[in-house]
Amino acid sequence: MNDILTTRGLTMRFGGVTAVDNVDFNLRDGELRCLLGPNGAGKSTFFKCLTGQLTPTEGNVTFAGQDLTGAHTHRIVNLGVGIKTQVPNVFDGITAYENVRLSARRKHLKPLARELTMTTLERCGITHLARREVGLLSHGQRQLVELAMVLAGEPKLILLDEPAAGMTGDERDRLAQLVLESARSAAVVVVEHDMAFIRQIAKFVTVFNRGAIFREAMIDDIMQDREVQEIYLGKQANAA
Amino acid sequence: MEKPVTRDPGFYVMVAIGLAVMFAAPLMLDLFTIMQITQYVVLSVFALSLGYIWGFGGILSFGQAAFFGLGAYTFAVASINMGSTTIPMVLAFIIPTIFGVLLGYFMFYGRLSDVYLGVVTLVVALIFWKLINHTAGPEYSIGSARLGGFNGIPSIPTLHIPGDPTAWLDPGQMFQVFMGFLIVIYIALRFLIASDFGRVSIGIRENETRASLLGYDVRKQKVVVFAIGGGIAGIAGAMWATYQAFIDPNSVSMEMSAKALVWVMAGGVGTLVGPIIGCILLQWLTLQLGTVDVVNSIAVLGAIMMILVLALPRGIVPTVRSLMLGGYFLWKRNHGTTIPGKAVKE
Repeated sequence: MNDILTTRGLTMRFGGVTAVDNVDFNLRDGELRCLLGPNGAGKSTFFKCLTGQLTPTEGNVTFAGQDLTGAHTHRIVNLGVGIKTQVPNVFDGITAYENVRLSARRKHLKPLARELTMTTLERCGITHLARREVGLLSHGQRQLVELAMVLAGEPKLILLDEPAAGMTGDERDRLAQLVLESARSAAVVVVEHDMAFIRQIAKFVTVFNRGAIFREAMIDDIMQDREVQEIYLGKQANAA
Repeated sequence: MEKPVTRDPGFYVMVAIGLAVMFAAPLMLDLFTIMQITQYVVLSVFALSLGYIWGFGGILSFGQAAFFGLGAYTFAVASINMGSTTIPMVLAFIIPTIFGVLLGYFMFYGRLSDVYLGVVTLVVALIFWKLINHTAGPEYSIGSARLGGFNGIPSIPTLHIPGDPTAWLDPGQMFQVFMGFLIVIYIALRFLIASDFGRVSIGIRENETRASLLGYDVRKQKVVVFAIGGGIAGIAGAMWATYQAFIDPNSVSMEMSAKALVWVMAGGVGTLVGPIIGCILLQWLTLQLGTVDVVNSIAVLGAIMMILVLALPRGIVPTVRSLMLGGYFLWKRNHGTTIPGKAVKE
C-alpha cells in the first residue's frame, strides 16, 4: 500500500488521437522504474501528464496520497517531485553554479543552499564547470547540469525523460551511477530509448505501446520477450 | 552575475558619475541646458522601467507608455486637487503599480504567449490614448482638475519641498531632485536584480519551463516584475508632468512606447546603464537633427536606428563592455610582466 505514485484510467486525447489510453500505473516508494516503448508509444505524453505540463483528458494522478490531476507544474514540484524534461531545460545565460543554486535556494536559506549546490555539483562530477555559462556547454554537460538542478531540489520522486540523450559513453556511465545512487533516497521513473543505458540501471520495466501499458516485467524477461522485440522492430502490423 | 552588487566596481563608478552630474551640472551649465538635460533624466527613468522588465524579466511590453501616462495623469489630477506634490508623487507610483498587478494578472495567469502579450500591452496603451483624447468636455473632471482631452491639463504644480507647498523648487533644484530619483531607482533595481527575487526573474527570462520545474510560480513572479516596472514608469510620468507643468495624451501615445523600446534596444537589453545611455543619446540626436533643416530628421534618425541594429545587435553597452574586456585580456597578454604577482605563460 506504500505507492508513491499512481495513475487511474489516465487518458490524453489530442483531437481524434488518443496518445495515452486508460493507463493504470503504480510506483512503489523508493522504486526505480524504466519506461520503454517505440516512438509514438505515448511515453512522453504520459510523462507530461505526470509533470503537469499537460492536463489529462480523463483519469487522475495521485502522488503521496494527494491528487495532482491538472495541478500546475510548480505545485507538483513543491510537493517533492523532481523533473528533467526531454529537451534540456536549463538557464543558458547564467553559470552552472547559479543554475543549481536557484534550485537549492527554493527550500533552503542562503548558506545551506550554497553548500547543497557545491555538494550536488560534486556528486554530478561537474564542479569544474561551476563558473561556466551553461549555454556554452556540450549537450551532455547540460544534461548533467539539469540533473544536478533536479537533485538539488531533494525530491521524493524523480522523473527523468531521456536523460542519456546526447551523452558520451563516460557521461552516460556517470549518469547511470547517479540514477542508481539517487534511487536509494527517492523513487525514480526513467523514460529512455538508449538500451545500453537501460541495461545499466533497469530492474522492473514498463513497456508502452500505442498509448497503453503493453508489458510490465523485470528487464531480463522484457529483453527475452518476443512480442516486445516485435513492437520495437515495427512488426506488430503483421502479428495482428 | 553572482557577484554581489557591493563588490562590483562598475556599480560605484555609475553612482559616482550620477552624483557628480547631480552636483556639478547646476554649477557649470546655464539654465537652459539644465532644463534640457532634466528632460533626459526623466526619460531615463522611463527607459529604466522598460529596461528592467524586458532585460531582467523577459517581458516585452509594447505599451509601457500606458504606465507613464497613468502616472502623469495621476500626479496632475492629485496635485491640482491637493495643492501639494508629495502625496501625488507617491500615488503616481502606487496607482500604476496596482494597474500593473491587475493587467499582469490577466495576462500572465491567462498564460498569454509573448506575441499576444505585446499585442495586449499595445492595445491597452491605445485605449488609454483614445480614452483621454475623448475627455475634452467640462463634464470630464476629477475634483477641480479637468482632464481636458486632447488639450491636456495645464498649470500642473511644480515640485515643492515636502510639507511646504510654497517652497517650490527652481529648475536647478528640480534637476538635482530628479537626478536623485534616477540614482535611487538605479541602485534599487541593481539590488533587486541581485536578490533572490531578481535571480529567479532572470531564470524565468532564460527558461520559463525550467523555472516552473524548480517549483517557482512563474505567473506570480512575472506579475510582480511587470507591476514594479509599471510603478517606475508611473514615477517617470509624474516627473514629466511636473517638469513640463503640462500633460497631454501624447504621453500615452504609441510614439512614447516605441521610443522606450528603441532606447532599450539601442542601449542594450539586459543592462540598466544601456537604457539610460540609449535614451540620452537618441534624445540628444533627435534634438540636434531637429535643428537642421536640410534633411528630414526622422529619416536620418531611422537610418541611425537601422545602423545601430545591424552593427550593434546586442546594443551599445554590451558591445562596449565586451570590447573593453577583450582589450583588457589582450593588454594583459601582451603586458603580462607588468602585472605584479602574475607570471607570464608562454
